[in-house]
Amino acid sequence: MNGTKYANAVGAVRAMENTLLGKSDIDQLVNARSKAEVDSIIASKRGSGANSDGLAEVWAMLREYAPDCKELEILLYRNDFHNLKAVLKAIISNRDPQHYYISPSNVELPVLVDAINTKEYDNLPEYMRDTAAKAYELVTRTLDGQLSDSLIDADALKAMQKSAVRYGSDFMKRYANLLTVCADIKTAYRCSILNKSAQFMETAVCGSDELEKDALIKAALGGAESLFSFLEASHYSNAGALLKESTAQYEKWCDDVLIELAETARMQAFGAEPLEAYFIAKEAEIKNLRILSVCKEFGADKETITERMRKLYV
Amino acid sequence: MDNLGIVLAVIGAALAALLAGIGSAKGVGIVGEAAAGVVSVDPSKFSKVLILQLLPGTQGLYGLLTAIILLSRIGLIGGSAADLTTAQGLQFLVASLPIAVVGLISGIVQGKTAAAGVGITAKKPDHNGKGIIMAAMVETYAILALLISILIIYNIAL
Repeated sequence: MNGTKYANAVGAVRAMENTLLGKSDIDQLVNARSKAEVDSIIASKRGSGANSDGLAEVWAMLREYAPDCKELEILLYRNDFHNLKAVLKAIISNRDPQHYYISPSNVELPVLVDAINTKEYDNLPEYMRDTAAKAYELVTRTLDGQLSDSLIDADALKAMQKSAVRYGSDFMKRYANLLTVCADIKTAYRCSILNKSAQFMETAVCGSDELEKDALIKAALGGAESLFSFLEASHYSNAGALLKESTAQYEKWCDDVLIELAETARMQAFGAEPLEAYFIAKEAEIKNLRILSVCKEFGADKETITERMRKLYV
Repeated sequence: MDNLGIVLAVIGAALAALLAGIGSAKGVGIVGEAAAGVVSVDPSKFSKVLILQLLPGTQGLYGLLTAIILLSRIGLIGGSAADLTTAQGLQFLVASLPIAVVGLISGIVQGKTAAAGVGITAKKPDHNGKGIIMAAMVETYAILALLISILIIYNIAL
Protein backbone atom coordinates (compact mmCIF):
# COMPACT_ATOMS: atom_id res chain seq x y z
CA MET A 1 0.00 0.00 0.00
CA ASN A 2 3.09 2.22 0.02
CA GLY A 3 2.25 3.36 -3.49
CA THR A 4 -0.89 5.09 -2.26
CA LYS A 5 0.71 7.05 0.57
CA TYR A 6 -0.83 10.39 1.55
CA ALA A 7 -3.94 9.85 -0.64
CA ASN A 8 -5.95 11.78 1.92
CA ALA A 9 -3.50 14.67 2.08
CA VAL A 10 -3.17 14.84 -1.70
CA GLY A 11 -6.98 14.97 -2.04
CA ALA A 12 -7.10 17.90 0.37
CA VAL A 13 -4.23 19.66 -1.38
CA ARG A 14 -5.90 19.25 -4.79
CA ALA A 15 -9.02 20.92 -3.40
CA MET A 16 -6.93 23.71 -1.85
CA GLU A 17 -5.07 24.34 -5.09
CA ASN A 18 -8.30 25.88 -6.38
CA THR A 19 -7.80 28.73 -3.94
CA LEU A 20 -4.33 29.64 -5.24
CA LEU A 21 -4.22 32.82 -7.25
CA GLY A 22 -4.38 32.16 -10.98
CA LYS A 23 -3.20 34.20 -13.96
CA SER A 24 -6.45 36.16 -14.23
CA ASP A 25 -6.28 37.04 -10.53
CA ILE A 26 -2.70 38.29 -10.91
CA ASP A 27 -3.66 40.28 -14.04
CA GLN A 28 -6.47 41.88 -12.08
CA LEU A 29 -4.06 42.75 -9.28
CA VAL A 30 -1.45 44.14 -11.70
CA ASN A 31 -4.10 46.32 -13.31
CA ALA A 32 -5.24 47.68 -9.97
CA ARG A 33 -4.63 51.43 -9.81
CA SER A 34 -3.38 51.66 -6.23
CA LYS A 35 -2.17 49.64 -3.28
CA ALA A 36 -5.56 50.22 -1.68
CA GLU A 37 -7.23 48.58 -4.68
CA VAL A 38 -4.77 45.65 -4.47
CA ASP A 39 -5.65 45.20 -0.81
CA SER A 40 -9.33 45.36 -1.64
CA ILE A 41 -9.02 42.68 -4.40
CA ILE A 42 -6.99 40.42 -2.10
CA ALA A 43 -9.53 40.93 0.67
CA SER A 44 -12.34 39.93 -1.70
CA LYS A 45 -10.32 36.81 -2.72
CA ARG A 46 -9.89 35.97 0.93
CA GLY A 47 -13.66 35.85 1.17
CA SER A 48 -13.72 33.02 -1.36
CA GLY A 49 -10.81 31.26 0.29
CA ALA A 50 -7.93 32.44 -1.91
CA ASN A 51 -4.82 33.52 -0.03
CA SER A 52 -6.67 33.24 3.24
CA ASP A 53 -3.77 31.38 4.79
CA GLY A 54 -0.24 32.49 5.57
CA LEU A 55 2.62 30.04 5.18
CA ALA A 56 2.48 29.04 8.86
CA GLU A 57 -1.18 28.00 8.50
CA VAL A 58 -0.44 26.12 5.29
CA TRP A 59 2.38 24.31 7.04
CA ALA A 60 0.18 23.44 10.03
CA MET A 61 -2.43 22.05 7.67
CA LEU A 62 0.10 19.95 5.73
CA ARG A 63 1.46 18.50 8.98
CA GLU A 64 -2.06 17.71 10.10
CA TYR A 65 -2.73 15.71 6.94
CA ALA A 66 0.70 14.07 6.80
CA PRO A 67 2.13 14.08 10.35
CA ASP A 68 4.56 11.23 9.63
CA CYS A 69 6.08 12.78 6.52
CA LYS A 70 9.61 13.63 7.60
CA GLU A 71 10.76 14.80 4.17
CA LEU A 72 8.34 17.73 4.35
CA GLU A 73 10.54 19.19 7.09
CA ILE A 74 13.27 19.85 4.51
CA LEU A 75 11.10 22.67 3.19
CA LEU A 76 11.64 24.53 6.47
CA TYR A 77 15.40 24.04 6.79
CA ARG A 78 16.01 27.50 5.30
CA ASN A 79 13.82 29.04 7.99
CA ASP A 80 15.50 26.96 10.70
CA PHE A 81 18.95 28.11 9.69
CA HIS A 82 17.78 31.69 9.25
CA ASN A 83 16.46 31.55 12.80
CA LEU A 84 19.80 30.19 13.96
CA LYS A 85 21.53 33.23 12.43
CA ALA A 86 18.97 35.54 14.01
CA VAL A 87 19.29 34.00 17.46
CA LEU A 88 23.10 34.06 17.36
CA LYS A 89 23.17 37.73 16.43
CA ALA A 90 20.42 38.64 18.89
CA ILE A 91 22.17 36.90 21.78
CA ILE A 92 25.55 38.43 20.98
CA SER A 93 24.08 41.93 20.64
CA ASN A 94 21.68 41.57 23.61
CA ARG A 95 18.51 41.93 21.55
CA ASP A 96 15.23 40.07 21.61
CA PRO A 97 15.47 37.22 19.07
CA GLN A 98 11.68 37.10 18.81
CA HIS A 99 11.80 40.08 16.42
CA TYR A 100 13.95 38.18 13.92
CA TYR A 101 12.38 34.74 14.23
CA ILE A 102 10.42 33.58 11.22
CA SER A 103 7.82 30.85 11.12
CA PRO A 104 7.00 28.18 10.16
CA SER A 105 10.07 26.49 11.49
CA ASN A 106 10.99 23.00 12.67
CA VAL A 107 12.71 24.41 15.75
CA GLU A 108 10.84 26.54 18.25
CA LEU A 109 12.48 29.78 19.36
CA PRO A 110 12.93 28.83 23.06
CA VAL A 111 14.69 25.60 22.04
CA LEU A 112 17.04 27.51 19.78
CA VAL A 113 17.73 30.25 22.34
CA ASP A 114 18.31 27.71 25.09
CA ALA A 115 20.72 25.69 22.93
CA ILE A 116 22.80 28.76 22.05
CA ASN A 117 22.77 30.16 25.58
CA THR A 118 23.77 26.92 27.24
CA LYS A 119 25.91 25.70 24.35
CA GLU A 120 24.09 22.39 24.73
CA TYR A 121 23.16 21.60 21.16
CA ASP A 122 21.66 18.16 21.75
CA ASN A 123 18.11 19.54 21.84
CA LEU A 124 18.50 20.86 18.32
CA PRO A 125 17.71 18.63 15.34
CA GLU A 126 20.71 16.59 14.26
CA TYR A 127 21.05 18.49 10.97
CA MET A 128 21.87 21.79 12.70
CA ARG A 129 23.82 20.78 15.82
CA ASP A 130 27.29 20.99 14.30
CA THR A 131 26.45 24.17 12.42
CA ALA A 132 25.18 25.87 15.58
CA ALA A 133 28.35 24.95 17.46
CA LYS A 134 30.67 25.98 14.60
CA ALA A 135 28.84 29.25 13.93
CA TYR A 136 28.84 30.23 17.61
CA GLU A 137 32.53 29.51 17.92
CA LEU A 138 33.27 31.40 14.68
CA VAL A 139 31.24 34.49 15.49
CA THR A 140 32.58 34.78 19.05
CA ARG A 141 36.15 34.21 17.91
CA THR A 142 36.24 36.38 14.80
CA LEU A 143 33.26 38.74 15.45
CA ASP A 144 32.68 38.38 11.70
CA GLY A 145 28.90 38.11 11.36
CA GLN A 146 29.09 37.84 7.58
CA LEU A 147 31.39 34.84 7.74
CA SER A 148 29.21 33.02 10.26
CA ASP A 149 26.11 33.83 8.17
CA SER A 150 27.81 32.39 5.12
CA LEU A 151 28.74 29.26 7.03
CA ILE A 152 25.14 28.81 8.23
CA ASP A 153 23.68 29.43 4.75
CA ALA A 154 26.01 26.90 3.15
CA ASP A 155 25.35 24.36 5.91
CA ALA A 156 21.58 24.81 5.45
CA LEU A 157 21.91 23.77 1.82
CA LYS A 158 24.19 20.86 2.73
CA ALA A 159 21.66 19.71 5.35
CA MET A 160 18.86 19.85 2.77
CA GLN A 161 20.85 17.78 0.30
CA LYS A 162 21.79 15.26 2.96
CA SER A 163 18.25 14.86 4.32
CA ALA A 164 16.78 14.56 0.82
CA VAL A 165 19.18 11.68 0.15
CA ARG A 166 18.41 10.10 3.55
CA TYR A 167 14.65 10.20 2.96
CA GLY A 168 15.14 8.93 -0.60
CA SER A 169 13.01 11.65 -2.15
CA ASP A 170 13.96 12.46 -5.74
CA PHE A 171 11.73 15.53 -5.67
CA MET A 172 13.42 16.92 -2.57
CA LYS A 173 16.87 16.03 -3.93
CA ARG A 174 16.07 18.11 -7.00
CA TYR A 175 14.65 20.87 -4.80
CA ALA A 176 17.79 20.97 -2.64
CA ASN A 177 20.03 20.91 -5.70
CA LEU A 178 18.17 23.76 -7.38
CA LEU A 179 18.28 25.88 -4.22
CA THR A 180 21.99 25.14 -3.89
CA VAL A 181 22.73 26.06 -7.48
CA CYS A 182 20.76 29.32 -7.19
CA ALA A 183 22.44 30.26 -3.91
CA ASP A 184 25.93 29.25 -5.05
CA ILE A 185 25.74 31.30 -8.25
CA LYS A 186 24.52 34.32 -6.29
CA THR A 187 27.22 33.90 -3.62
CA ALA A 188 29.96 33.41 -6.20
CA TYR A 189 28.78 36.52 -8.07
CA ARG A 190 28.77 38.67 -4.93
CA CYS A 191 32.16 37.34 -3.88
CA SER A 192 33.61 38.08 -7.30
CA ILE A 193 32.35 41.68 -7.15
CA LEU A 194 33.53 42.21 -3.58
CA ASN A 195 36.90 40.51 -4.23
CA LYS A 196 36.35 38.02 -1.42
CA SER A 197 39.14 35.58 -0.64
CA ALA A 198 39.22 31.93 -1.67
CA GLN A 199 39.00 31.05 2.02
CA PHE A 200 35.76 33.01 2.44
CA MET A 201 34.28 31.40 -0.67
CA GLU A 202 35.29 27.98 0.60
CA THR A 203 33.00 28.60 3.58
CA ALA A 204 30.20 30.38 1.72
CA VAL A 205 29.79 28.18 -1.35
CA CYS A 206 28.01 24.87 -0.75
CA GLY A 207 28.50 22.99 -4.03
CA SER A 208 26.27 20.40 -5.65
CA ASP A 209 26.33 17.59 -8.20
CA GLU A 210 25.30 20.06 -10.87
CA LEU A 211 27.69 22.91 -10.13
CA GLU A 212 31.01 21.81 -8.76
CA LYS A 213 32.25 23.88 -5.81
CA ASP A 214 35.96 24.16 -6.64
CA ALA A 215 35.35 25.08 -10.26
CA LEU A 216 32.80 27.73 -9.25
CA ILE A 217 35.19 29.25 -6.68
CA LYS A 218 38.02 29.25 -9.20
CA ALA A 219 35.83 31.06 -11.72
CA ALA A 220 34.61 33.60 -9.14
CA LEU A 221 38.19 34.33 -8.06
CA GLY A 222 38.87 35.43 -11.63
CA GLY A 223 36.19 38.13 -11.39
CA ALA A 224 32.59 38.51 -12.60
CA GLU A 225 33.44 38.05 -16.30
CA SER A 226 35.31 34.85 -15.55
CA LEU A 227 32.27 33.62 -13.58
CA PHE A 228 29.90 34.43 -16.47
CA SER A 229 32.16 32.57 -18.89
CA PHE A 230 32.16 29.57 -16.55
CA LEU A 231 28.37 29.64 -16.26
CA GLU A 232 27.98 29.98 -20.01
CA ALA A 233 29.72 26.64 -20.45
CA SER A 234 27.61 24.97 -17.74
CA HIS A 235 24.00 23.72 -17.66
CA TYR A 236 23.09 27.11 -16.23
CA SER A 237 24.11 29.36 -19.10
CA ASN A 238 20.66 31.04 -19.06
CA ALA A 239 21.03 31.82 -15.34
CA GLY A 240 24.45 33.37 -16.01
CA ALA A 241 23.06 35.48 -18.85
CA LEU A 242 20.19 36.73 -16.68
CA LEU A 243 22.52 37.52 -13.79
CA LYS A 244 24.74 39.51 -16.16
CA GLU A 245 21.68 41.47 -17.27
CA SER A 246 20.08 42.12 -13.88
CA THR A 247 20.03 40.55 -10.44
CA ALA A 248 16.23 41.04 -10.30
CA GLN A 249 15.85 38.88 -13.42
CA TYR A 250 18.14 36.28 -11.89
CA GLU A 251 16.11 36.22 -8.65
CA LYS A 252 12.96 35.69 -10.71
CA TRP A 253 14.63 32.82 -12.56
CA CYS A 254 15.55 31.20 -9.22
CA ASP A 255 11.90 31.31 -8.10
CA ASP A 256 10.62 30.16 -11.49
CA VAL A 257 12.79 27.03 -11.62
CA LEU A 258 11.33 25.98 -8.26
CA ILE A 259 7.79 26.40 -9.60
CA GLU A 260 8.79 24.39 -12.69
CA LEU A 261 9.94 21.66 -10.33
CA ALA A 262 6.66 21.88 -8.40
CA GLU A 263 4.76 21.48 -11.67
CA THR A 264 6.23 18.00 -12.09
CA ALA A 265 4.13 16.90 -9.10
CA ARG A 266 0.86 18.24 -10.47
CA MET A 267 -0.03 14.96 -12.17
CA GLN A 268 0.70 12.75 -9.15
CA ALA A 269 -2.21 11.27 -7.24
CA PHE A 270 -0.20 9.93 -4.28
CA GLY A 271 2.99 10.59 -2.32
CA ALA A 272 4.52 13.58 -0.60
CA GLU A 273 5.46 15.47 -3.78
CA PRO A 274 2.04 17.15 -4.30
CA LEU A 275 2.17 18.41 -0.69
CA GLU A 276 5.68 19.77 -1.17
CA ALA A 277 4.70 21.31 -4.50
CA TYR A 278 1.73 23.05 -2.88
CA PHE A 279 3.96 24.54 -0.20
CA ILE A 280 6.40 25.81 -2.85
CA ALA A 281 3.47 27.23 -4.83
CA LYS A 282 2.11 28.99 -1.77
CA GLU A 283 5.56 30.47 -1.04
CA ALA A 284 5.69 31.79 -4.61
CA GLU A 285 2.19 33.23 -4.32
CA ILE A 286 3.07 35.07 -1.13
CA LYS A 287 6.24 36.40 -2.76
CA ASN A 288 4.23 37.58 -5.79
CA LEU A 289 1.82 39.45 -3.54
CA ARG A 290 4.68 41.11 -1.67
CA ILE A 291 6.34 42.22 -4.90
CA LEU A 292 3.03 43.51 -6.20
CA SER A 293 2.32 45.37 -3.01
CA VAL A 294 5.76 47.03 -2.95
CA CYS A 295 5.57 47.90 -6.67
CA LYS A 296 2.17 49.50 -6.21
CA GLU A 297 3.37 51.42 -3.19
CA PHE A 298 6.24 52.89 -5.20
CA GLY A 299 4.07 53.52 -8.26
CA ALA A 300 5.79 51.06 -10.62
CA ASP A 301 4.21 50.73 -14.07
CA LYS A 302 2.32 47.61 -15.20
CA GLU A 303 5.13 46.39 -17.46
CA THR A 304 7.63 46.47 -14.62
CA ILE A 305 5.27 44.66 -12.28
CA THR A 306 4.40 42.01 -14.89
CA GLU A 307 8.11 41.52 -15.57
CA ARG A 308 8.77 40.92 -11.87
CA MET A 309 5.87 38.49 -11.33
CA ARG A 310 6.96 34.93 -10.62
CA LYS A 311 5.59 31.91 -12.50
CA LEU A 312 2.32 30.55 -11.17
CA TYR A 313 1.60 26.97 -10.19
CA VAL A 314 -2.04 27.03 -11.37
CA MET B 1 -10.40 -38.19 2.25
CA ASP B 2 -14.02 -38.96 1.26
CA ASN B 3 -15.31 -35.38 1.11
CA LEU B 4 -12.28 -33.85 -0.62
CA GLY B 5 -14.34 -32.87 -3.66
CA ILE B 6 -16.85 -30.78 -1.71
CA VAL B 7 -14.08 -29.31 0.44
CA LEU B 8 -12.21 -28.11 -2.66
CA ALA B 9 -15.39 -26.61 -4.10
CA VAL B 10 -16.13 -24.76 -0.85
CA ILE B 11 -12.54 -23.47 -0.76
CA GLY B 12 -13.16 -22.15 -4.28
CA ALA B 13 -16.31 -20.32 -3.17
CA ALA B 14 -14.51 -18.91 -0.14
CA LEU B 15 -11.58 -17.70 -2.26
CA ALA B 16 -13.90 -15.94 -4.72
CA ALA B 17 -15.64 -14.03 -1.94
CA LEU B 18 -12.47 -13.50 0.09
CA LEU B 19 -9.94 -12.28 -2.46
CA ALA B 20 -12.36 -10.19 -4.52
CA GLY B 21 -13.68 -8.75 -1.27
CA ILE B 22 -10.18 -7.83 -0.10
CA GLY B 23 -9.53 -6.16 -3.47
CA SER B 24 -12.71 -4.11 -3.15
CA ALA B 25 -12.09 -3.19 0.46
CA LYS B 26 -8.60 -1.94 -0.35
CA GLY B 27 -9.78 -0.12 -3.47
CA VAL B 28 -12.70 1.57 -1.76
CA GLY B 29 -10.40 2.47 1.14
CA ILE B 30 -7.85 4.16 -1.13
CA VAL B 31 -10.52 6.24 -2.88
CA GLY B 32 -12.14 6.97 0.46
CA GLU B 33 -8.91 8.45 1.79
CA ALA B 34 -8.49 10.71 -1.21
CA ALA B 35 -12.19 11.63 -1.20
CA ALA B 36 -12.15 12.46 2.51
CA GLY B 37 -9.23 14.80 1.89
CA VAL B 38 -11.19 16.67 -0.77
CA VAL B 39 -14.41 16.77 1.26
CA SER B 40 -12.54 18.06 4.33
CA VAL B 41 -11.66 21.15 2.30
CA ASP B 42 -14.71 21.36 0.03
CA PRO B 43 -17.75 19.45 1.38
CA SER B 44 -19.82 20.39 -1.69
CA LYS B 45 -17.92 17.77 -3.73
CA PHE B 46 -19.14 14.87 -1.59
CA SER B 47 -21.66 13.47 -4.07
CA LYS B 48 -19.19 13.61 -6.96
CA VAL B 49 -16.37 11.82 -5.16
CA LEU B 50 -18.80 9.28 -3.70
CA ILE B 51 -19.48 7.88 -7.19
CA LEU B 52 -15.77 7.32 -7.65
CA GLN B 53 -15.51 5.63 -4.28
CA LEU B 54 -18.28 3.18 -5.17
CA LEU B 55 -16.56 1.93 -8.34
CA PRO B 56 -13.99 -0.45 -6.77
CA GLY B 57 -16.75 -1.95 -4.64
CA THR B 58 -18.13 -4.06 -7.49
CA GLN B 59 -15.36 -6.67 -7.41
CA GLY B 60 -16.52 -7.74 -3.96
CA LEU B 61 -20.04 -8.15 -5.31
CA TYR B 62 -18.76 -10.24 -8.23
CA GLY B 63 -16.89 -12.49 -5.81
CA LEU B 64 -20.00 -12.85 -3.67
CA LEU B 65 -22.13 -13.62 -6.73
CA THR B 66 -19.65 -16.27 -7.92
CA ALA B 67 -19.55 -17.86 -4.45
CA ILE B 68 -23.36 -18.01 -4.26
CA ILE B 69 -23.68 -19.53 -7.74
CA LEU B 70 -20.96 -22.07 -6.92
CA LEU B 71 -22.56 -23.03 -3.59
CA SER B 72 -25.93 -23.26 -5.26
CA ARG B 73 -24.52 -25.45 -8.05
CA ILE B 74 -23.00 -27.93 -5.59
CA GLY B 75 -26.22 -27.94 -3.59
CA LEU B 76 -24.98 -26.33 -0.42
CA ILE B 77 -27.56 -23.56 -0.88
CA GLY B 78 -31.16 -24.54 -1.60
CA GLY B 79 -30.72 -28.27 -1.82
CA SER B 80 -28.65 -31.19 -0.65
CA ALA B 81 -24.89 -31.21 -1.06
CA ALA B 82 -23.76 -33.00 -4.23
CA ASP B 83 -21.44 -35.96 -3.95
CA LEU B 84 -18.43 -34.47 -5.70
CA THR B 85 -15.36 -36.33 -6.85
CA THR B 86 -11.96 -34.80 -6.17
CA ALA B 87 -11.66 -33.89 -9.85
CA GLN B 88 -15.02 -32.11 -9.81
CA GLY B 89 -14.14 -30.28 -6.61
CA LEU B 90 -10.87 -29.20 -8.15
CA GLN B 91 -12.74 -27.94 -11.22
CA PHE B 92 -14.95 -25.77 -9.01
CA LEU B 93 -11.88 -24.47 -7.19
CA VAL B 94 -10.19 -23.55 -10.48
CA ALA B 95 -13.45 -22.01 -11.74
CA SER B 96 -13.44 -19.54 -8.85
CA LEU B 97 -9.85 -18.41 -9.49
CA PRO B 98 -10.49 -15.91 -12.33
CA ILE B 99 -12.77 -13.68 -10.28
CA ALA B 100 -10.80 -14.29 -7.08
CA VAL B 101 -7.44 -13.21 -8.50
CA VAL B 102 -8.65 -10.61 -11.01
CA GLY B 103 -11.08 -9.26 -8.40
CA LEU B 104 -8.26 -8.78 -5.90
CA ILE B 105 -5.89 -7.04 -8.31
CA SER B 106 -8.46 -5.01 -10.25
CA GLY B 107 -10.10 -3.80 -7.05
CA ILE B 108 -6.84 -2.28 -5.82
CA VAL B 109 -5.87 -0.92 -9.23
CA GLN B 110 -9.32 0.55 -9.76
CA GLY B 111 -9.06 2.16 -6.35
CA LYS B 112 -5.82 3.88 -7.35
CA THR B 113 -7.30 5.04 -10.67
CA ALA B 114 -10.44 6.33 -8.98
CA ALA B 115 -8.32 8.13 -6.34
CA ALA B 116 -6.51 9.88 -9.19
CA GLY B 117 -9.97 10.71 -10.55
CA VAL B 118 -10.77 12.32 -7.20
CA GLY B 119 -7.94 14.74 -8.00
CA ILE B 120 -9.70 15.64 -11.27
CA THR B 121 -12.95 16.21 -9.39
CA ALA B 122 -11.19 18.39 -6.82
CA LYS B 123 -9.55 20.63 -9.37
CA LYS B 124 -12.02 20.52 -12.27
CA PRO B 125 -15.43 19.34 -11.02
CA ASP B 126 -16.94 19.69 -14.51
CA HIS B 127 -14.62 16.96 -15.76
CA ASN B 128 -15.66 14.49 -13.08
CA GLY B 129 -17.08 12.14 -15.73
CA LYS B 130 -13.65 11.62 -17.26
CA GLY B 131 -12.30 10.35 -13.95
CA ILE B 132 -15.25 7.97 -13.68
CA ILE B 133 -14.72 6.64 -17.23
CA MET B 134 -11.01 6.03 -16.60
CA ALA B 135 -11.73 4.12 -13.41
CA ALA B 136 -14.59 2.22 -15.07
CA MET B 137 -12.22 0.92 -17.78
CA VAL B 138 -10.55 -1.26 -15.14
CA GLU B 139 -13.96 -2.77 -14.41
CA THR B 140 -13.96 -4.48 -17.83
CA TYR B 141 -11.44 -7.05 -16.72
CA ALA B 142 -13.29 -7.86 -13.53
CA ILE B 143 -16.45 -8.42 -15.60
CA LEU B 144 -14.57 -10.70 -18.02
CA ALA B 145 -13.20 -12.71 -15.10
CA LEU B 146 -16.68 -12.97 -13.57
CA LEU B 147 -18.05 -14.18 -16.89
CA ILE B 148 -15.41 -16.90 -17.21
CA SER B 149 -15.87 -18.05 -13.61
CA ILE B 150 -19.64 -18.36 -14.04
CA LEU B 151 -19.33 -20.11 -17.43
CA ILE B 152 -16.96 -22.69 -15.98
CA ILE B 153 -19.11 -23.25 -12.88
CA TYR B 154 -22.24 -23.85 -15.00
CA ASN B 155 -20.41 -26.16 -17.38
CA ILE B 156 -18.85 -28.53 -14.91
CA ALA B 157 -20.55 -31.87 -15.36
CA LEU B 158 -21.96 -33.29 -12.12
